[in-house]
Amino acid sequence: MVNPGEGTQRGGSLAVSCEGVSFSYPGSERPALSDVSFELRPGEYVGVVGPNGGGKSTLVRLLNGLLRPDSGRVRVSGRDPATEPFEVRKHLGVLFQNPENGLVAPFVEDDVAFGLENLGVPREEMRDRVARAIRAVGLGGYERREPSTLSGGEKQRVALAGLLAVEPEILVLDEPTSMLDTAGRGEVLGYLEALRAEKTIFHVTHHLEELLDADRILVLNGGDLVADQTPERFLSDADLLRENRLVLPVVPRLALALGLPPAKLHTPEALAEAILARIESGTRAG
Amino acid sequence: MRLELKGVRYVYAAGTPFEVEALRGVSLVVEPREVLGIVGSTGSGKSTLVQHMNLLLTPTSGSVLVDGVDARSLQKSELRRRVGLVFQFPEAALFAPTVEEDVAFAPRQLGLDEEEVQERVTESLRVLGAGEFARRSPFALSGGEKRRAAIAGVLAMRPEVLVLDEPTAGLDPATREDLLALILDLREAGISVVLVSHDLDEVAEVADRVCVLHEGMLHAVGTPAEVFYKEPVQAPATVRVVSLVKESRPEIGDPVRFEETLDALRTLQGI
Repeated sequence: MVNPGEGTQRGGSLAVSCEGVSFSYPGSERPALSDVSFELRPGEYVGVVGPNGGGKSTLVRLLNGLLRPDSGRVRVSGRDPATEPFEVRKHLGVLFQNPENGLVAPFVEDDVAFGLENLGVPREEMRDRVARAIRAVGLGGYERREPSTLSGGEKQRVALAGLLAVEPEILVLDEPTSMLDTAGRGEVLGYLEALRAEKTIFHVTHHLEELLDADRILVLNGGDLVADQTPERFLSDADLLRENRLVLPVVPRLALALGLPPAKLHTPEALAEAILARIESGTRAG
Repeated sequence: MRLELKGVRYVYAAGTPFEVEALRGVSLVVEPREVLGIVGSTGSGKSTLVQHMNLLLTPTSGSVLVDGVDARSLQKSELRRRVGLVFQFPEAALFAPTVEEDVAFAPRQLGLDEEEVQERVTESLRVLGAGEFARRSPFALSGGEKRRAAIAGVLAMRPEVLVLDEPTAGLDPATREDLLALILDLREAGISVVLVSHDLDEVAEVADRVCVLHEGMLHAVGTPAEVFYKEPVQAPATVRVVSLVKESRPEIGDPVRFEETLDALRTLQGI
């Protein structure tokens, strides 16, 4: 078949595609990723889980061009991150684990502008985009605050605003809540949920409970992509969970142990209601 | 060992315009052979508090007592051997060419003979399930393996109190469960464990007592049931479920740990 614009045809309609991607760190005996293939369609929310050392962070670095695959191909909005990393980073932004490491500037607004400064955006537009991004994460009024005076959740939201200002279509989140307390986690997850309508989201996490509403969940273990499933199927697959060192979150685990459907009952409210309904019907029957 | 903090205040950058009072008079006891959970939102003073437990930070006012004796009168090296502190992301401090060399570093500083050092290294690595990567470079390990190697280094000092600051952050769920099991094993072995965590579910599983810090002050302290049922909104998932069930079924009681909760819910359902 004649294929004049390979990038447009094969990668153009996809947000991300990986085909047979393998990567080994120099001097390491086993590959960090072997023969990994998957696709992200625009607007999808896809979660990534798996044991430490499974290849999750390596995959993130391949997507934004920090690493180059040994074989296979990666395309982000039709482009190769290894050869066009700067172009790719306009389309795909990465939010890393620890917000402390990422914030560099004296004031919140400078920090949010940092990523844009490298893109040659005109000054006026830059100001607009920064203001919009700060509002989008609910930090309006924080422009002149010093990042060091913010809580962990607020810092991570500043980092998220820095990504949004670049206006990428794809957001890659590498354990964005692991350093946050319950309130901070709720904040960050709430803003991600709000962004869901307009962005493609690739969310790496150890907290399965954060992915219960995702479109799909990928599992990376020992460098292999071992599963690509909906949350419903995933939660009911005890073998898959165990083999990949995953533990069901407390609420669905309680549901399962009580013989109730785990995927539907993943909030305390839903589970409590189901339990009470069952007691109620049991009382009536008896 | 009984470790007591009495009216500990701590001010960062005292006397400068950046002065911050991180702890405002905290009194707290770590009893022998207990797991004490310390929770509280980011910036509430948790890390500052635990750094007082081996006088890495000296209180601006107040005192730290070890079995009733002012810790300032003890040798610092002695205190730091008896109270082992594992920082957040301790793997950042791994430096030696192999894991076993790294773990051997601290006990060697104690002036132990080489045989004793090796025995402790082997023991610590075994307890952490880290024996298999003893001879590998710490830099070739995964995040979970590095974390275990770093904790083994502190355990090799054979501390009486082990303080873990967010030990499970960034670990996969199964490694997290292994670490929680280890905490219970250490308590069985007679070690007190102070667990700082923002994961209330894990604190619920292992803590004998919980203390909640809020803006540098002790907000609550007690058994997990006492503390979490008082404010069930900021509670582990088990307590949140039970609190809702309890509104119409008060007989369910105050279960906190997963198995306890499951039993209580089963009893209630008559199964």
